[in-house]
Amino acid sequence: MPWLPKKTVVVPVDFSDNSLPAMEAALELVASPGEIHAIYVMAELSERDPGVIWGTIDDAKRTQNAKESLEKAFSDAKFQGFTPVVRIGDPGNEIVEYAQDAGADLIVIPSRGRTGLDYLLLGSVAERVTRLAKCPVLVLRG
Amino acid sequence: MPKIRKALTAFSITTLLAIVFYVALNAAIAQTTEQDTAGNQQPAEESPDPDGGAQKDANNKTDDANQGGEETEEPKKLSAWEKQIKRIDDWFKTYLVEPSNAFLGFDFGTGKFSTENGKKRSDTSVPFIVAWLLAGGVFFTLRMGFINVRAFWHAIRLTKGDYDDPAEQGEVSHFQALSSALSATVGLGNIAGVAIAVGLGGPGAVFWMIIAGIFGMSLKFAECSMGQIYRKIAPDGTVSGGPMRYLKDGLAEYRLGAIGFVLATIYAFVCLFASFAGGCMFQVNQSMNAINAQILEVAPGAKYVDLIYGGIMVVAVGLVIIGGIKRIATAASVIVPFMCGMYVLVSLYILLTNSDEIGPAFGTIFRSAFTMESIYGGFVGVMVIGIKRAVFSNEAGTGSASIAHSAAKTDEPISEGIVALLEPFIDTIVVCTMTGLVIVITGVFDTETNPAMATYIDAQNGAALTTAAWRSQVPWFPWLLCLAVVLFAFSTMISWSYYGERCWSHLFGARTSLVYRIIFLGFVFLGAVATATNVVNFSDNALMALAIPNIVGLVLMSGKLRGKLDDYWTRYKNGELEPATKYGKK
Repeated sequence: MPWLPKKTVVVPVDFSDNSLPAMEAALELVASPGEIHAIYVMAELSERDPGVIWGTIDDAKRTQNAKESLEKAFSDAKFQGFTPVVRIGDPGNEIVEYAQDAGADLIVIPSRGRTGLDYLLLGSVAERVTRLAKCPVLVLRG
Repeated sequence: MPKIRKALTAFSITTLLAIVFYVALNAAIAQTTEQDTAGNQQPAEESPDPDGGAQKDANNKTDDANQGGEETEEPKKLSAWEKQIKRIDDWFKTYLVEPSNAFLGFDFGTGKFSTENGKKRSDTSVPFIVAWLLAGGVFFTLRMGFINVRAFWHAIRLTKGDYDDPAEQGEVSHFQALSSALSATVGLGNIAGVAIAVGLGGPGAVFWMIIAGIFGMSLKFAECSMGQIYRKIAPDGTVSGGPMRYLKDGLAEYRLGAIGFVLATIYAFVCLFASFAGGCMFQVNQSMNAINAQILEVAPGAKYVDLIYGGIMVVAVGLVIIGGIKRIATAASVIVPFMCGMYVLVSLYILLTNSDEIGPAFGTIFRSAFTMESIYGGFVGVMVIGIKRAVFSNEAGTGSASIAHSAAKTDEPISEGIVALLEPFIDTIVVCTMTGLVIVITGVFDTETNPAMATYIDAQNGAALTTAAWRSQVPWFPWLLCLAVVLFAFSTMISWSYYGERCWSHLFGARTSLVYRIIFLGFVFLGAVATATNVVNFSDNALMALAIPNIVGLVLMSGKLRGKLDDYWTRYKNGELEPATKYGKK
């Protein structure tokens, strides 16, 4: 019995080991995988990247590649029908913005728990999402 | 339209921040110079009478700084602006150049064996860092079984695209990766640096540059192969690699994770400084000198060239790195191979019109490579200068190029390392030798026949020397040189700001990269106003310091690299890599 029938759940994916458990956790909450939106946020590409300079890579191509990567990472039958989403920018902001646009009812996000210097300098995406989100956020402890 | 607006907003923010940066810098300098003048007012500085215990240290430091500049300094009246510049320059020297000199310039006491009679015109001892780089080059040449010689033809075929397969992972082709890396390496080091080497070390320096170039090929092979082996391919298909990555991940495989982490962090940190120095200040400074020398020739007494040129460069670089205008970056990078060709053609023209002097020039170069003439600091002095300028130009051993090379499309890491060994060849053995020969043949380095050049040499103003050499052949040639110099400087800055930014995001994350870009612009301006000697010294130190963590890591992992190379080479020799066999092409 799903917790959230006919609701939209956004799952931020960074392709780390925590991503699969997060998708599985989301699966338990929804009626069908079609309600899961897996979002991957890429950093903006430097205009000085060799690929940009030589015109061999652009945002459209990157989005295409990233979508394929998402589909490949969650190719298991149980995930069939999820929506792969790719955005460019700051992960925290983009995730929250997308959740709002898609009218999400819940964000399921793994927390990698950076510690020490990394935490001070980089902060945590989960923390940022929790702070900015307009909908409930489920933070998974990893 | 929103793009333009975004660029404009970003630009105005930068200008504002640049002003804040400038004011802050000034405040810092004001503090130093206050102490400085306090020290200067005491004429009998050597007497053991320091004024106040707290200021003792600061006085000693600034005192050293003053002694260096005393010979050329005249007690003439300076304008307010010039005073300001001098203050910036002194601050720069005391806080950035001298501390780094103390470490990297450590010469194991070899200084006392150097020739001392006559005017000391160059380094006459073997600084630690030069010995380190030479040892690194020789080590990898031997460890990789003379890869620089045996893989040369294969490198050309790889670059031609004979082995390219579009299905392989990566961003750009072998040729494109090589061009991108070259746009960072071919810069003012090839034009100004070589002239400085010949000016200070005599014609023999060219010989040692070529030697350093040959050994550098093996180092470049090692670092770029490692960059490819440990590169990361993101889910969106973009690639990131470089010394920060192979030092960290590579050494972790040897259970040296902690050492790898430390080395990678040091590397990324030093690389930031290298990008500000050799990748930025040196380029602005020396290209400004070339243009200044030419403008003064046409309009004697022209003022504020440094200020105007610095301003224009800040705007031009800012448009790309903050405004995000891709087209300028692309145009600058794509034009580099053509400029490189133009430079070589003009140099060849000068050499051919003086063809009867080429033989004797080579004779002079070889003879004076082992000279004992004290004017050039003797045999050791010539060698040190040659190696230093060669490494500064081709960056072999510093690992920087592996950031660009790791973007190459290939499933064979070794193949990109082999392509990369062409880089020191093109940069040093071809382009630098051209500059060197032109300087030697036109004789501008010889202060006895060209006394006017002595000031340029003393001030390490290499670009002005090359300009003079070109002018002595055809009066309008220097204009071509100015064009080449500006484009080289620009493209090198663009590429190096990319390297630096990669290191910045390794350290502080990608979100704050705007901070890096603004600091970078600050250094563009600083490069235009600081004196050449300080800029050259700081650039040398920052760039060459990269070789310490990089070569330590590479040597530790050299066994693995040799294994991969042998595997690749066997397959190559067996014809397994030929496109026809591998992909069933043609």
